Amino acid sequence: MTGVITWLRDPNPTSRAQARFGQTYMGFLRLRRNHLAMIGLTISVVLVLMSIFAPALAPYDPIAQNLSDRFIPPLSPGHWLGTDDFGRDIWSRILYGSRITLYIVLLVILTAPVAGLIIGTVAGYFGGWTDRVLMRITDIFLAFPKLILALALVAVLGPGMVNAVLAIALTSWPPYARVARAETLTVRSSDYIAAVRLQGAGPVRIIFGHIMPMCLPSVIIRVTLDMAGVILTAAGLGFLGLGVQPPLPEWGLMVSSGRKFLFEQWWVSTMPGLAIFIVSLGFNLLGDGLRDVLDPRSSGK
Amino acid sequence: MALIEVDNLSVTFLTKGHRVRAVDSVSLSVDTRESFGLVGESGSGKSTILRAICGLAPISGGAIRIGGEPVATPRGKAFSRKVQMVFQDPYASLHPRHTIDRTLSEPLAIHGIGDSDRRVMAALADVGLPTGFRFRYPHQLSGGQRQRVAIARALMLEPEILLLDEPTSALDASVQAETLNLLSRLREERGLTFLMVSHDLAVIDHMCDRVLVMQHGRAVEEFPRADLAAGRMKTDYARSLFAASAERMG
Amino acid sequence: MTLLNVENLRVTFRTEAGPVEAVRGVSFNLGRERLGIVGESGSGKTITGRSVLRLIRPPGKILADRMEFDGIDLTRADEKTMRGLRGRRIAMIMQDPKYSLNPVMKVGAQLTEGLRQRDGMSAADARKKAIEALEAVQIRAPERVMEAYPHELSGGMGQRVMIAMMLIPGPDLLIADEPTSALDVTVQAEVLAILDGLVRDRGMGLIFISHDLRLVARFCDRVLVMYKGKIVEELAARDLMAAKHPYTQGLLNCLPRIGGSQGPLPSLDRDAAWAL
Repeated sequence: MTGVITWLRDPNPTSRAQARFGQTYMGFLRLRRNHLAMIGLTISVVLVLMSIFAPALAPYDPIAQNLSDRFIPPLSPGHWLGTDDFGRDIWSRILYGSRITLYIVLLVILTAPVAGLIIGTVAGYFGGWTDRVLMRITDIFLAFPKLILALALVAVLGPGMVNAVLAIALTSWPPYARVARAETLTVRSSDYIAAVRLQGAGPVRIIFGHIMPMCLPSVIIRVTLDMAGVILTAAGLGFLGLGVQPPLPEWGLMVSSGRKFLFEQWWVSTMPGLAIFIVSLGFNLLGDGLRDVLDPRSSGK
Repeated sequence: MALIEVDNLSVTFLTKGHRVRAVDSVSLSVDTRESFGLVGESGSGKSTILRAICGLAPISGGAIRIGGEPVATPRGKAFSRKVQMVFQDPYASLHPRHTIDRTLSEPLAIHGIGDSDRRVMAALADVGLPTGFRFRYPHQLSGGQRQRVAIARALMLEPEILLLDEPTSALDASVQAETLNLLSRLREERGLTFLMVSHDLAVIDHMCDRVLVMQHGRAVEEFPRADLAAGRMKTDYARSLFAASAERMG
Repeated sequence: MTLLNVENLRVTFRTEAGPVEAVRGVSFNLGRERLGIVGESGSGKTITGRSVLRLIRPPGKILADRMEFDGIDLTRADEKTMRGLRGRRIAMIMQDPKYSLNPVMKVGAQLTEGLRQRDGMSAADARKKAIEALEAVQIRAPERVMEAYPHELSGGMGQRVMIAMMLIPGPDLLIADEPTSALDVTVQAEVLAILDGLVRDRGMGLIFISHDLRLVARFCDRVLVMYKGKIVEELAARDLMAAKHPYTQGLLNCLPRIGGSQGPLPSLDRDAAWAL
């Protein structure tokens, strides 16, 4: 073990592979030093484990109704988070719901920021007409209220989880494009971009290899800040009957379905609400830590 | 034979509706294996000429020929194997998130040159950097070390011509001496042609065979090195530059 | 007469990797003369200059056996006394006027601000005094410069405005940190001539911090050569070419000379013993 660590920590690695592993290890050490980021990482890992082992962990079926057990308060034997209006165990529903949440989050992360990053860097790098056209399109998307636009899209595509995620992605890329473009404009005229242009690099190589790494940190920060909003928008669409459909245990759907009993049976909404809160917090903390790790300059401090 | 020929070159920038003529009908020619210096104060357009040759500044008139051939627009890969540039500020000319290895192997990847492991090691050794620096980031290096990396990068494609834009003005005196020595040695070994920009007459005198003095975007006077040391200038401006550098006399 | 007396000045920065001593036991006296401090980047010359005004931010810490300016103990003076000294009795000029002038304020407003607020002068009197100050640094059209924003000035002009601004309160000591490095050689000479005249006419003390040995030799009376936070040599400027310390000699020799050989420049071989 110590041999591996010395190999990883070697300040003068002898091969590209060793350098890459070493940097990953140093990145992990930097992340570990940041206690808040470690909390975020733990929450994210727990979320992943929960979704994988949901069938093993869940004491009850998340969908089967049992009307004789309606509204059992939390901390009761057998139902430590209580039951909802159909007598379903809330803990089991939260466990299965983590799968849906993770699915939505991953799908949005893989689409909106990537699209925004590409559009923003391309607009910023080429400037001129390309910039004007792409940025006006961005403005049009920004001008619509997010939920209304998502509603329109779902109405066209038809309700369902995948369509809801697509709608969310289509409404949330413009801010990423803006951020990426702003970063690109500052980087574009720098000497190191001039140097690689002078070496004969084409625009694709320059944008993906040289400009995007500089835009990534600010985009990552935005993504993690937006994650809570994404989960809530998904819930909103579900509530309007356009996203995830009942009786699937989606967290946002669970919050909205408990709204009717908020004063008497507060736990029906509160428990999934807490789950959303904890997961959003986890993503925020993790994102903050990741930004430090992604910046090699911070390693010297 | 003239390797670099610049004929009546003009560069005009458009800023906020104003046309600013940074370079106004400047001509120069540099022979193969010669070292040619451009001197002037800030705003004289000396760096702009280098950038125009590389296609990094908008040319509004005149012609540039390398080896008798007019340069293509955009410059293209053939150009980058012939001409490379070293920038003034080594803190700004290296990508902050790329390792030295990535910076040096990038030109090889662009041109599809294999054997990059060996070539990167050889390039580091050539500019006097330990091979242990290979996977470091620029922020872990001193200014002089960074400038060595920038020189190594410029030489990866084995160009004939090196354009040097104030390569030592951001460095300490002792580091400047080491960097100038390195450049002289590489020129000797590889038969390079230098076109060097500096505000420091002593540096130009040390490195160059011929000098062109520039002011406000125009060529003022050209003379060989021997005339510089002897103070044989024809124009008042060149003389005043020389007088201001008096303490740099030998 | 001694204006400033510094004994065993130490500046330490606390970092994650342990304390770093940027200045390690620097002592000097300054009368109404021109003292040059030379060294390479990281030699501690700038930090020495800033310590006199106690302009070192945490985690930096200043320690000195003695640091006295005109009878005032700078190590013990409270923040109020220091504010009274800064600008008024000890002025400082930085390397790049671009970063020292407020970009959204007209030059005139910046010049008169201090006079009106600190000295309670009327607008007309302050303006008159500011124009006089601009004339003193040989600005030909002071009225026009008063109405300009800093970005409308050239580097040399901006640096002159900075000097004028620093000299309005009539300080006893001027600390100039690389005041001409960002300027062209011909402008450099003019700015130095202005500084020289002002120091002589007003009998100020001047600390001139620079990396350029030959410039300092030409311009100052006395030179301190710093290396890694220590003074390795102190000598009269006219004796600089006869410097004894190998570091000073090395710094002088490694500069290219007009009309010199085009062969390799002598390199500076650093001896670990110099830093001890």
